[in-house]
Amino acid sequence: MDDRIRKLELTAARIRRNVLDICRQRGGYAAQGVALADIASVLYFDEMRADGNGWFHDRFVLSNGHDAIMTYGALAESGHYKMEDLRTINEDGGWVDQSPIEGQLGFEITAGSLGQGPSQSAGLAWALRHRGSDARVYCLFSDGELQEGNVWEGVMFAAHQKLSNLCYIVDNNDMQASGHASNVMNVEPVHDKFAAFGLHSIRISGTDIAELIDAFAQARSVTDKPSVLICDTRLWDGIDCLQEALPMAHYTAKTAVDWDAGLAEIGSVIAALEGVVG
Amino acid sequence: MLLKNSQTFDPAPFDTISFDLASRRKDVIIMSSDLSKYCQVVRVKNELPDQHLDVGMAEQNLLSVAAGIAKGGYIPIATCFACYITRRAYDQMLICMGTGSGPGTNQDIGPTNIAIGFTPGIANPARIHHQAAEDLGMVRAIPNATVIDPMDPIDFRAAVEAAVGRPGLTYIRGHRGDTPNLLDPSKFNFEIGKTYKLVDGKGLGIITTGHATGWSLEASDLLSERGIDHSILHCPTIKPINEEEVAAFAFEHDQIVTIENHQVVTGLGSLVTEIISDIGGGPRVTRLGLPNIWAPGGSMTHIRRVLGLDAEALANRIGEL
Repeated sequence: MDDRIRKLELTAARIRRNVLDICRQRGGYAAQGVALADIASVLYFDEMRADGNGWFHDRFVLSNGHDAIMTYGALAESGHYKMEDLRTINEDGGWVDQSPIEGQLGFEITAGSLGQGPSQSAGLAWALRHRGSDARVYCLFSDGELQEGNVWEGVMFAAHQKLSNLCYIVDNNDMQASGHASNVMNVEPVHDKFAAFGLHSIRISGTDIAELIDAFAQARSVTDKPSVLICDTRLWDGIDCLQEALPMAHYTAKTAVDWDAGLAEIGSVIAALEGVVG
Repeated sequence: MLLKNSQTFDPAPFDTISFDLASRRKDVIIMSSDLSKYCQVVRVKNELPDQHLDVGMAEQNLLSVAAGIAKGGYIPIATCFACYITRRAYDQMLICMGTGSGPGTNQDIGPTNIAIGFTPGIANPARIHHQAAEDLGMVRAIPNATVIDPMDPIDFRAAVEAAVGRPGLTYIRGHRGDTPNLLDPSKFNFEIGKTYKLVDGKGLGIITTGHATGWSLEASDLLSERGIDHSILHCPTIKPINEEEVAAFAFEHDQIVTIENHQVVTGLGSLVTEIISDIGGGPRVTRLGLPNIWAPGGSMTHIRRVLGLDAEALANRIGEL
């Protein structure tokens, strides 16, 4: 188990490095990508099963396009994307969108209009169960999206249909475009809300590999309802020297942070873990 | 291609259409948002329950769950009133159902997503909130979308059957309740985009769609009695319409009248003027339909009379041109 955890920690560190490397080109949602690296590591490199054809048997639905940077960072590590391509993100005339359109590798839905992932992933989970597939569906959305009514319509449907093959992941980072969600429009108590809707609700830090492995396993063991992992991440989790950009770091401009310092810090983490993992 | 002297009605067109389709195609899922009875989804719900899914009174959920089901390998047919399925859930229709297939997206051939809006225009007696007078304009603005406004149970059935084989978003206006059988199924051959000349004359050309094709045929009898020569072109497909056929019809006539169960803003009348003005030098186009005011409620007979869209008023308005 220790080796499994160390390997996933190393992968998470490399995802953080990829996120910085990509976002330093033209800015981006770097703080979110960095904070979600542990979730991405466990999800893509441990929890979701391979399909035998170079892709995944299980399905991941990204509800908030902003967090595409997390998927890019992870799929660069898995070899599905090339860093040289990802560094062209948001370049005029380029094809690497900051918030991709449905059908691009790794992106099941067009996710820039927020709050539409929970119901689309529920529809997908319903269809997969209906056709007898054992594939699981994971859907990541943010606490800011909990302010959208469509989210709760989807959650209600998922619970009513007892979609135990569906696992929601809430990036509960208390940050949205205008500031802290708790100031803009409080969404708490998030755990109680999902529990009241009939979901198996698990609240975790979202940045501890062992805790994430356990939470996903627990969600898998539930057979009569969907699960939700409420992850209390905070922006820039995992890179200490970039914390100074807080609290207003919803979108990180190219000139807003010291990318070299961040890359140096995460480079040290990677080197240390490589020494342990071998 | 019209039935001769037909006075028969189909009491529940979509109940039969959906049951026949779902019986034959096990990959079709008929979806409702608490309005199954009112969209006449009865037999599928009762006899093929595995192929019926109700998401509750939540139209945004209806279309976003439908889009998820489409990504899971099924063909969803989402049903609701036209007002809610377009106005209330337009972003879900455009983003969730409309961005996965065709030019400008990541997939040449993406999932099939079908939405059917019932009681469109003034086919609903509850004024304003239940009346979709702008749905055709809204949906035809979505790139790659297919938009169909059938005139009777025959082309309604054909449109649904065609939509099932078509990638991307298709929006169809549905007929509910006693619906006159007008087309002769042995002579009518539906194709997406194709237009149909129902009356062949000279001078005055009427271009029409949906319920208004029936209204135009009623007015046609009066025009003929009054010796006013005219043609009628039925355009079930609003998008992608065969523009060459519309233009050819328009330029064969001296005066064009469009008639629609939709606002004259953004609907068929707008579409026809766009086609003709792009060419230039065409005939004058007079747009008849719902004016850009709040329509009254009540029976369709009553509302048509108030808005000058009953047979007599239409014949008078056309005759005065």
